[in-house]
Amino acid sequence: MNYSAVLNGGRGKTGERLLGAAVILPPVALVCTEYVYPFLMSVHSSLLKDGRFSAENYSYSLSVYGGDILFTAFVSALSLALVLALSVTIGGYLTLRRNRFLEFLFKVPLFIPFVVVGHAMRTFLAPKGLLNSLLSQIGVIDINHPPDFIYGAVGIVISLTWKQFSFALLLVMSSFESVDKSYLEAARTFGAGTCRQILNFLIPLTRSSIGVTAVLILTSFLQNFSVVMMMGNSGGSQHIMVDIYNTITYLNDLPLANALGVISYLLALGPAILYLKREMEKA
Amino acid sequence: MSGTSVFSKGIRLTGRLLLYAAALFLILGPLSSLVIWSLAEQWHWPAMLPQRWGTMYWEKAFRGELMNSFVTGLEIAVIVTGVVIVLAVPLAYVLARFHIPFKALILVLFLFPQAFPSLPVFANLMTLFYRWDIAGKVSGVVLVQVGAALIYSLWTMVSVFQSVPRVLEDAAYSMGASRIRAFFDVSLPLAVPGVVASGILVFLYSLDEFTGTLLIGSPFVKTLPVQMYLSSMGYEMQIASVTSLIISIPGILFLLLFQRFLKAEYLSSFGRI
Repeated sequence: MNYSAVLNGGRGKTGERLLGAAVILPPVALVCTEYVYPFLMSVHSSLLKDGRFSAENYSYSLSVYGGDILFTAFVSALSLALVLALSVTIGGYLTLRRNRFLEFLFKVPLFIPFVVVGHAMRTFLAPKGLLNSLLSQIGVIDINHPPDFIYGAVGIVISLTWKQFSFALLLVMSSFESVDKSYLEAARTFGAGTCRQILNFLIPLTRSSIGVTAVLILTSFLQNFSVVMMMGNSGGSQHIMVDIYNTITYLNDLPLANALGVISYLLALGPAILYLKREMEKA
Repeated sequence: MSGTSVFSKGIRLTGRLLLYAAALFLILGPLSSLVIWSLAEQWHWPAMLPQRWGTMYWEKAFRGELMNSFVTGLEIAVIVTGVVIVLAVPLAYVLARFHIPFKALILVLFLFPQAFPSLPVFANLMTLFYRWDIAGKVSGVVLVQVGAALIYSLWTMVSVFQSVPRVLEDAAYSMGASRIRAFFDVSLPLAVPGVVASGILVFLYSLDEFTGTLLIGSPFVKTLPVQMYLSSMGYEMQIASVTSLIISIPGILFLLLFQRFLKAEYLSSFGRI
């Protein structure tokens, strides 16, 4: 009964407009309240010191956390380089020689949430972790002086690479599959091996979608929170997200945390613009 | 001749086995560490394996606080999935089909949050939620997750509706159907598989969400990821490992059941959890 009333109501132009507005406005309002307004709040509050406008939070951030900002950019870039190198090589190999077992295996990390990856790597890579006890069994390391794979950049880079390699492989392989197979056949006829086919054909032909993959992954590294929180720092540099969280919870200094937050927006701005441009074109 | 071919075959086989071994070690190594820890009742360094194995910590997990976190997370995930579907399905349809005013602005609105760090945004949202008295409550966690999951799932839903042929709707219009009727009787039924897939993604997203839940929910609302984080940071390795495995089960099940049917675009949404 009500259903047919709605149907008739939708027939008029005004009715349709009202209905459209009813569909669009609640989600828009939600996103404005939960993202746009808090985003603006963070920019505004970062410029306040004791109730006055000031750039002090920024100068303080840069002098105290400058190293951490560089560290964030460094671990993200290094992990990205590793992820791309691995996914392009392995993706190329698997495109040319199908292997369903390996394809399935490499999808597994995609379904392990970041927060679990953080903990798994903590147990695996820690000085007294499974990896070191395995390595000592085969005599590679001295059990009394186990190397530390977890603190600093190494643990973060390994964890982020492990998790997002899977994601990159999926995207890279789906773009490799779209390459016209006759190019590859022609290359093989002229004696090109697996390496040549990947380097001279698959990569150049899919350059733009590899670029998109890189942007998506870099964005996820710059904003990662759970893995970097769990890896700890043992007194060295740490990811800017850890600084932000600690500034809020332990120092209770929201304006300073917001200055760091705005710096993290700026770090993400380059990839964000590329991401936005591409998605807008797609839509 | 045949000697060399056997030899080169042997090399190829060894190479292959090494590749498999390396792949298995790299992917399953860290995960097996979780499994061993979850079953280790006593494990002192430098023994390679635990001195005493047992399911004590699994039993503990199913009795105690962990079960509460699991139920809380499940309740939140059910509500979030329902709300997101109700909000996102019509919105995705409208975005996929119609010319609407300020469309570019709306697109930017729903794309931008994905590209920027959410921690500083949620930190300020937390102060708002304290003002509205929903911080540390299930309602606050639901609200923060609905926003995040909406942004997360909207684009897969838009592409679901873009894949429904427009001709079918035009046919319905020519038979005198209104736009609403065409939506309910033609487009929606065809989009159901895609909507179900996105719904499952939202459900898994909500179960695994960490940043928003930690900031908004703490210290009263704890889902499994938050609980796991707290036990891991407190060096309760066994409990954290049991929790990690429980958290991973739904995603792995999803992979096993659906991986053949899922397009890359659904699977790739997992790059964000």
